[in-house]
Amino acid sequence: MYRQGDVLMMALEESEVPAHFLEAPGEPRDGRGRLVLALGEVTGHAHAVRGPGRLLREAGPFGPMLLHLPEGGRVVHEEHAAIALPKGWFRVVRQREYAPGAVRIVAD
Amino acid sequence: MQYVNTWRAVVAATGRADRGAAEDGVRLAYRAAGLTEPERIIWADSPRAAVEVVEKLTEAGRSVREEVRTRPWAEERRRVYDELGPAGWSALWSATGAQLWETTAALAERIRAGVVSELATRPEDESGIRLVLLDAVLGQHDAAWLAAFDGRGDRLTGLAEVARNAGWWWPYEHAVVIVERPEALHRDEAGRLDRGDGPALAYPDGFALYAWRGMPVPAEFLDGLASLTPDRIRAEENAELRRVMLEYYGYDRYLTESGAEPVHRDETGILWRIAMAGDEDVVMVEVVNSTPEPDGTHRTYWLRVPPRTRTAKEGVAWTFGLDGEAYAPVRQT
Repeated sequence: MYRQGDVLMMALEESEVPAHFLEAPGEPRDGRGRLVLALGEVTGHAHAVRGPGRLLREAGPFGPMLLHLPEGGRVVHEEHAAIALPKGWFRVVRQREYAPGAVRIVAD
Repeated sequence: MQYVNTWRAVVAATGRADRGAAEDGVRLAYRAAGLTEPERIIWADSPRAAVEVVEKLTEAGRSVREEVRTRPWAEERRRVYDELGPAGWSALWSATGAQLWETTAALAERIRAGVVSELATRPEDESGIRLVLLDAVLGQHDAAWLAAFDGRGDRLTGLAEVARNAGWWWPYEHAVVIVERPEALHRDEAGRLDRGDGPALAYPDGFALYAWRGMPVPAEFLDGLASLTPDRIRAEENAELRRVMLEYYGYDRYLTESGAEPVHRDETGILWRIAMAGDEDVVMVEVVNSTPEPDGTHRTYWLRVPPRTRTAKEGVAWTFGLDGEAYAPVRQT
């Protein structure tokens, strides 16, 4: 389990990954060739991974998002130190905050 | 992804419309739909003003929104779906439109609600105004679906041109009413309307929306924020406004001045609880940012967690959807 700011990355065994994700095409990379795990709407600061890998996303504000890094990788962000991830699968979770009657995502 | 960022900028664009380019886009959209170009194009300074103009239009003919916007969009969607298949379509949408959908749809709905509340002096007027709003093409706020089709054909070029250059518009057989873009748009990192010292969204004629982290607030409420006191916060009966006051005032300051005591402390942070008369307790975890600021200090921040939370770790774990025992990062920055 690794955390960079408001994003948590939890290692998963390949056997835990839903079958339809194993061969699914990943999200396209951004203009700078990165896999963007979370993007700040205003600053444009992003939690992002360069290098080989795939990001798989299902609709919904909290994911789930799955990240596959066959050779490991680094998660970078403009305001946080980089995080090195070992090779494998990760579930990516965005931090949320409690609000009476609702739940809001955290924007750091 | 490049397209998404371009369209993300379109959603957030403020300042005067490029009227010539927008009008060219309107005419192109009419021609592409097989319609005669509109005889009149009338500009309005806000969606509220546009609704008033639409209500007074004479000899404009029927709404052609279906032909100009909805049908070409639906046909493009069908074409792309057939080309890509269900999985391919879903991947395209999640990489493009889905990224913009939630925040933009919420913004458009806030504008609609603002127009209705300002124009409907009696409750029975509301449905009439909502019907006029239904005829609108959302221009820059149609960015989510325009992003999905960008680069895949020229069928929607006219619609995209209007969206890049202006705000909402109402297409009728003989006339079009089209709106300027907002003068100001302030949102937080999550894309929600957010401003503590003025309107979060403002159009040139003064039509404006006030909001704090997405929550609608009255304009005069913001004026009172600068002079808040803990007593004033405690006395506020509206729980949502009280929450805004607490956020504005600063949980840390409030905790200090109200003499609150920490409830629990562990390696993840500190848990605080403030009892609120007639409302659920405010429970927060105080956590320290792992990455130092440029000056070497560590920023402290507060996250509100459910009132049932008993330990700091349980609170932090909840913010990531986990049980207390499951939360154990080996490294964090």
